[in-house]
Amino acid sequence: MPAISKVLSTGAAVVALSLAFIATAEADGKLQEVLARGKLIVGTGSTNPPWGFQDKGGKLVGFDIDLAHIIAKGLFNDPAKVEFVTQSSDARIPNITTGQVDMTCQAMTVTAPRAQQVAFTIPYYREGVALLLKKGGKYADHAALKAAGAGVTVSVLQNVYAEDMVHQALPDAKVDQFDNVGLMYQALNSGRADAAATDASSLRWFMKQNPDRYVDAGYGWNPQNYACAVKQGDADWLNFVNTAIEQALTGVDYGDYKTAYETWFGVTPPAPAIGFPR
Amino acid sequence: MDDLITEAWDARDVILGGLLQTLSISALAIVLGTLLGVLVGVALVYGAWPLRLAARAYADVMRGTPVLVLVLAAFYMPAVLGLHLQPFAAGVLALTLFCGAHIGELIRGALGSIPRGQTEAAKAVGLTFFGVLAHVLLPQALRSLLPPWINTCVEMVKASTLLSVIGVGELLLRTQEIIGRNFMTLQFYLLVGALYLVVNFAIEQAGKALERRVAFR
Repeated sequence: MPAISKVLSTGAAVVALSLAFIATAEADGKLQEVLARGKLIVGTGSTNPPWGFQDKGGKLVGFDIDLAHIIAKGLFNDPAKVEFVTQSSDARIPNITTGQVDMTCQAMTVTAPRAQQVAFTIPYYREGVALLLKKGGKYADHAALKAAGAGVTVSVLQNVYAEDMVHQALPDAKVDQFDNVGLMYQALNSGRADAAATDASSLRWFMKQNPDRYVDAGYGWNPQNYACAVKQGDADWLNFVNTAIEQALTGVDYGDYKTAYETWFGVTPPAPAIGFPR
Repeated sequence: MDDLITEAWDARDVILGGLLQTLSISALAIVLGTLLGVLVGVALVYGAWPLRLAARAYADVMRGTPVLVLVLAAFYMPAVLGLHLQPFAAGVLALTLFCGAHIGELIRGALGSIPRGQTEAAKAVGLTFFGVLAHVLLPQALRSLLPPWINTCVEMVKASTLLSVIGVGELLLRTQEIIGRNFMTLQFYLLVGALYLVVNFAIEQAGKALERRVAFR
């Protein structure tokens, strides 16, 4: 009996695949489809502050959410016309390739292997690792931490590469790994660690929520570009989203981008220079 | 502890909303899955061979596949065909298909355990096939069916947590979202663990009460 089940499921897969080819062949431009639909469908996360998360009232907020609203404003002249599909980070690529979403903006690191499966837009943020210190603590900045050598303990989120990552910035520091973010910050608060190494965006958000208690050691490393992604094979749609993001970074929508940046990272992004457009 | 109480109180609407989603998904999957299961079970025992073969293939594929794979398949396979199911609908579909296969097997076992003489006697007094099923076989099957059926219901509530993967805002995903905001990992997982326990305990108690009602007196 299992043999027959296998034949049946293989048959179903073959039918599904052939129908998929027909479906993609008859699809016309995504830009027209989105305009006709009257709303933009964006895949994003709901568990990762400050990118996409739920505020206390259960509302989806974050930098990625604001970026999606900027793109919707470009499409419909109305930033509210977005439907968010919340997805786990594993679902980012499949939800794009199967057309469940028009685009995904979800703290997605641009890598060459991923670019073989989806089309990345231009980056809208560069993530990195930064060091959080207690304000008025023993060490004032990265130079002081580095000078202290093996006398420094750094708390970090548990990760295969965590030890190497910290040693890139502080070669002799002792590394304490924790299995959740709360414990990592707690180690810093209780003095078990002298610094906490975490994503620059998380650090900024944490500092914004706890004003005047912490300082950034002023050193960032491990660059990763964050970009939105769309399905491959539709140059007009990719170009539209790229244009919308570019104008948010350096053009007419810079004001909205700046507001979002200040809201979630607590600092002002560099203003676009007038004149030469790069 | 004070922190947990404050944070849990702040998040009460979100937690309740998640619990409501979990309950409605589980209830839908159980009701639809049970209806499907009765059809599958009857087809497995009395169907003509092509129908029996189809029911057998369905039950074997569904029971032999991890629920997580079914959930992902229900979400992505229709999308490939151009049919975009909402995560909620895809999730209910996956759990219903899974539930239907299990209950189909339960019904097959329960029907198979009733002596043949019963069917023969019922036919001898002139009942039609559906009459035999409705008045003689299924009522008797119900007694041996109830305990494993309650067990399947509890399994469905637990399986509903897997829908967090496709973005259904059920209790587990809502909890992960709360933890993403306040970093109180252990405390909130324990809290919702307790909520799942309460729900499943209630189902088991309701099941026991039901068993007592239909027991031989």
